[in-house]
Amino acid sequence: MKCNPWWNLVAVFMLISSAYAVKVGDSAPDFQAMDSNGQVHKLSQYHGKFVVLEWHNNGCPYTQKHYESGNMQHLQKEWMSKGVVWLTVISSAPGEQGYVTAQQENDYMSKVKASPTAALLDPKGDVGKLYSAKTTPHMFVVNPGGVLIYDGAIDSKATTEQADISTAKNYVSQALEESMAGKPVSTPTSRPYGCSVKYAH
Amino acid sequence: MMKCSLTLRFVISLVWTVWLMLPTAAASQGKADEHATLELISEQDALVRGKQFWIGIRFDLQEGWHTYWMNPGDSGEAPRIEWQLPTGFQVSDIQWPHPERLTLASLADYGYEDQVLLMAAVRLPERFTEGESTKIAAQVHYLVCQDVCIPGQKHLELSLPVKTSAASSPSRPLFDATRQKLPRPTPRNWKISATSSGDEFVVNLKADKLAKPVQFFPLHAEQIENAAPQNATELPGGLRLHLKKSEHLLKPITHLEGVLVLASGNAYQVRIPVAQPRSSHSQSNN
Repeated sequence: MKCNPWWNLVAVFMLISSAYAVKVGDSAPDFQAMDSNGQVHKLSQYHGKFVVLEWHNNGCPYTQKHYESGNMQHLQKEWMSKGVVWLTVISSAPGEQGYVTAQQENDYMSKVKASPTAALLDPKGDVGKLYSAKTTPHMFVVNPGGVLIYDGAIDSKATTEQADISTAKNYVSQALEESMAGKPVSTPTSRPYGCSVKYAH
Repeated sequence: MMKCSLTLRFVISLVWTVWLMLPTAAASQGKADEHATLELISEQDALVRGKQFWIGIRFDLQEGWHTYWMNPGDSGEAPRIEWQLPTGFQVSDIQWPHPERLTLASLADYGYEDQVLLMAAVRLPERFTEGESTKIAAQVHYLVCQDVCIPGQKHLELSLPVKTSAASSPSRPLFDATRQKLPRPTPRNWKISATSSGDEFVVNLKADKLAKPVQFFPLHAEQIENAAPQNATELPGGLRLHLKKSEHLLKPITHLEGVLVLASGNAYQVRIPVAQPRSSHSQSNN
């Protein structure tokens, strides 16, 4: 292929339009990102499994609500024990809240006892923009066929208060439970709540 | 090939840089009340039995910081107020002034900068002892954000004497100014309707005299794409507004509810019936 500048423009428009094309019921767009141990993960390598994507920023009070309470770690353990792949994605740009180096992320995960399948480092925000990730947390669930079955909030109570977790409906668990039982997902989308994802300016 | 992908990266990053021009970050965190001062205020200097009066929580926000409207938009959270009132007192819902649209990267939030008063009406019972002082309290849960967000909680109190008549308090002008920003009922001479068309709602508004709308603020979180531009065109005797549908909207909706702010600064509550496209197969919602 000749390097025609128009192709760049076309690619940029494809990128922009694809960033707005993530929709429940459609194929979840494939991506590739490096984790905090230097390993590369592609969404497509997990075809045949449920995949949870969790947008993360350890300085955000909404993320802290779910980690300081142990809720997120519990969800990771519970669903990974049932064969689910859990990818934590960090799209904070360098200098922004929540940006971490690989070592910092590993230290954080061992400190809070988080055990996702992987923590993906996305400092350029490529994966975040591909999925239009808006907040931390912002949760996505992909089914074994590679179809996006949930896009939205972690649960039904949009607050920073840990006490609300026990009375909230967890939409991620609900989507996984229903889908594993062969039922349609009753809440396939919701407004994600939290801090804005700290993309590069 | 190599050169091409480098150029591509450059173009992409350039596009994003232009697209995502943001207010500066400078993540100096701290406590919420370093960035917002809250006070419980009354429009009157005394309480009169059987009468209604207005109280409110005034937020004074540090420059660059904001708090949120009842629908916060893409991120954030609306303040919540738990009133603690003497027995027999009745309090209304919060009267939310129309918000501003606050854009951050590819997101749009709905909220307030600088100063906002969240007011509510209180009705006193008929049987009430005059001459005593009465305490009204509020527990406020709120979020303030600049680029980063800090949740806060504040307990506020106000004591007012019970009298046979009341005068204005020094806060009266702020209550009056805030009333100007409260959405009014839809004017009777407006004809407003919308059609669902592809990925947008097209709102048609017919009215005798009309200032161009500045903004539609949705009451419900999952109806329109908050950050999408809202294009308005003038029509004979009215105007048309294009609203992009939310990606979280999977089912047809019967009404768009929200607040329409016109160029005049006046805000109106609207509940717009939405007509579905004629061909039923064009909206599949699996």
